[in-house]
Amino acid sequence: MDKDLILLFLQQGIVSGMVVGSVYALLALSIVMIFKTSEVPNFAQGEIFMAAGYCALFLLVFQATPVWLAVPLTLVVAFAGAALFRRVVLTQVSRASGSPVNLVIATLGLSYVLKGLVRRTGFGDTPRSFPALVSTDGVMIGQASITRLDVAIFLTALAVMAFLFCLFAYTKVGRAMRAVGMNPKAARLMGVDLQRIHMLVWGLSAVVSAIAALLISPKILMTAEMGGIVTMAFAAAIVGGFTSLPGAVVGGFVIGIAENLVGLFISSRAIVVAPFVAIMLVLIVRPQGLFGGRVAIKKV
Amino acid sequence: MPELRTPLLSVENLTIAFGGLVAVRDFSIAVAPGTIHALIGPNGAGKSTTFNCISRLYRPNAGRILFDGQDITRLPSSAMAGLGIARSFQNLELFNELTVYENILIGAHCHCGASLRDRLSARPPHLAAEIDRIIERTGLGAYRETKACNLDFGHQKLLELARALAIRPRLLLLDEPAAGLRNREIAILDGLLTDLARRDGLTILLVEHVMQLVMSISDRVTVLNFGTKIAEGTPQEVKSNPAVVEAYLGKETALHG
Amino acid sequence: MRFLAIAVAAAVLIALPLVTTGYVVYLANLLLTFTVLCLGMHIVIGETGQFSLAHAAFYGIGIYAAGIAGTTFGTPFPVSILIGGLAASAIGFVIGMVALRMRDIYLALATFAFGEAMQWVFLNWNAVTGGPNGLRIAPARLFGLELVTDKDAYPFVVATAIAMLVLTVIVARARLGRSFRAVRESEIAAQAMGVPVRRTKVVAFGISAFFAGIAGGMFTLFSTYIHPDSLGFQTTILVLTMVVVGGLGSIGGAVGGAIAFGLISELLRQAPSFQEIAYGAILIVFMMYAPKGLFAFLADRFRGARHA
Repeated sequence: MDKDLILLFLQQGIVSGMVVGSVYALLALSIVMIFKTSEVPNFAQGEIFMAAGYCALFLLVFQATPVWLAVPLTLVVAFAGAALFRRVVLTQVSRASGSPVNLVIATLGLSYVLKGLVRRTGFGDTPRSFPALVSTDGVMIGQASITRLDVAIFLTALAVMAFLFCLFAYTKVGRAMRAVGMNPKAARLMGVDLQRIHMLVWGLSAVVSAIAALLISPKILMTAEMGGIVTMAFAAAIVGGFTSLPGAVVGGFVIGIAENLVGLFISSRAIVVAPFVAIMLVLIVRPQGLFGGRVAIKKV
Repeated sequence: MPELRTPLLSVENLTIAFGGLVAVRDFSIAVAPGTIHALIGPNGAGKSTTFNCISRLYRPNAGRILFDGQDITRLPSSAMAGLGIARSFQNLELFNELTVYENILIGAHCHCGASLRDRLSARPPHLAAEIDRIIERTGLGAYRETKACNLDFGHQKLLELARALAIRPRLLLLDEPAAGLRNREIAILDGLLTDLARRDGLTILLVEHVMQLVMSISDRVTVLNFGTKIAEGTPQEVKSNPAVVEAYLGKETALHG
Repeated sequence: MRFLAIAVAAAVLIALPLVTTGYVVYLANLLLTFTVLCLGMHIVIGETGQFSLAHAAFYGIGIYAAGIAGTTFGTPFPVSILIGGLAASAIGFVIGMVALRMRDIYLALATFAFGEAMQWVFLNWNAVTGGPNGLRIAPARLFGLELVTDKDAYPFVVATAIAMLVLTVIVARARLGRSFRAVRESEIAAQAMGVPVRRTKVVAFGISAFFAGIAGGMFTLFSTYIHPDSLGFQTTILVLTMVVVGGLGSIGGAVGGAIAFGLISELLRQAPSFQEIAYGAILIVFMMYAPKGLFAFLADRFRGARHA
């Protein structure tokens, strides 16, 4: 491989990687948000993402709803669905046993229900394409070629991240969410309504995943299996330490770029297995991830 | 004079820090065999930290821990039982879903025997008499097949002790054994611990806030404050030590209670 | 009560091939195989309390190892089954060593990642597994005997399943089983009692993988073909669902769950989307209202009714 080609591949890999990485970062943020507040890795995050994508598809294509209505409607549905799941199902699960294993199993259950529901509607049977909301004309960045859509994806994702950071840093409800993540008992003593915060976090996480779905869906063929993309987000979250929001963002970009470089330099077949290998390697070599703190010492 | 004998446990110049925070500084203690030694001090004085370090849950930053002359500072926590060091936990660490009998049987993990038959046995016969004795001694006779989580708090505390006894300990480390107990239960504990030390020759190191128990059973008392030792001596000596009274300012009633 | 259950089970197992057709026997073979998978899952998650989401991978390793041994090298089938079990447990031990470093949640993620990576290996290692074309498995042999039909294989499948059930009971009653439960209930206390927590976890992983590998070997007794598609995450979830439905932490629950949910699952096969919804809904409902499983739930109700 000559030098020019390597340079071209590198540029293309990094630029494309930033675009899809920004979407992984959003999904990783949704996962970490929930994990930080409820200690549950939400195995249904991919299916929430998928279901939100189908909800938007249904509204836009089958109901011909205008974009300005379809997008907020999708986000509202995602928020309500996730908050309701947290309120109705997980509250009862923790009351019944309280073991984290049981909570995880319940999220696995949700992932199957959502997948089955989408298939049931009939939309999930054949791959479908999602209408692009932004033109797909080409844009050159250095020698790398991407589309206007890609630029829009990247900028929207950044805007969402900025919004989240402002929310957690400067608003009362955001600070309450962080407090719950750090010490739920203390937060409750300070007058934080845990139930409400949990619902808000789940709802917010689903909204972020739904935005990720709206962004990436035009670039891929939609199937009921598209939630599998969440594996990349889990890999990103793990790289970032699983409890760090900035870590999730960096992890998303790392995984996105790594994926594209692996695809360009090694083979596209290797892409599929790369995130799993990455997850295992990170967990073996540095279980706390790149950004996670030291594992806390349990007080006995 | 017990302090003239070679100590069973001696901790030398122990320092433990978490991050930049020094929890225990240059702490030494010698526990003579067959005695009951209490470690007291106000909340946050570093008692439990010291305790968890002796039972090898935490790694000290400096200092060493000797048990019967052997340096155990670098040994893993799971090696303690085999040496004859048993401990109980402040916030109860019982095997909740298992029965009282099974809890105690797991305490006897190191004594189950090496032969295949012993290893496969659900209730090794050679341990039956010993476990029965422990159950009787701790007054758990009526609850043999009760799940640990279904016991009331007082009996759970006793089960922690029973399980520790199944280790056949030479040194018993008790982390606040009386916390949360009612007076009647404390009296039972008092009798039991005294009996274990006087009759069975067990050495006991306990961290405790209930002064009534500490003053009644201890041969020696060591007082920690802000991670350093401020006093040591017999219960009477410690009680009248001005530094101790000051550390407990506002807690004088508790000290004399 | 227990004696009655065993007697009924024995009668059903004996009568089954005499009174039914090939399909039912095939189904029985499959359910017994899943029973062994469930027993393995029970050991790691029910007894030891460690999350493992790589069960399908170990099952697959067992199938390929036993299948290739029998088909390519013509080993007699008891040897093939054992090869399947040992191959899976060897890798299970390695995964267990890695797992030492992690706690619950990370363990779930790591084993999940390992499972997915293994499925990729099955799908892409064409020279060994046949890759996307799948692998043809020759009929199992032992001396002159050749197992061609489901009914031929049935007695051996039953015998293996019973042997594994007995093994599970032995392990659970032994000191090792107590160590497993001690680790599940409190790692800190287990350590203080002298239970080597890390080693115990590795052993649990290894044994669980051994069971899955043996189940893979059982599969080669009555099946002629394996494709990597059936060795993915959904198979792990199926096994997990069975164990949860039966009751986490009890051997009877693992067996009962495998049989009960295996039948439900077979009924639902006609409508894949319903099957998914049903799996999911069952997991959710059980976690909400019967976290200890169907049998414990019924027992509670029964007891409640009697007291009332």
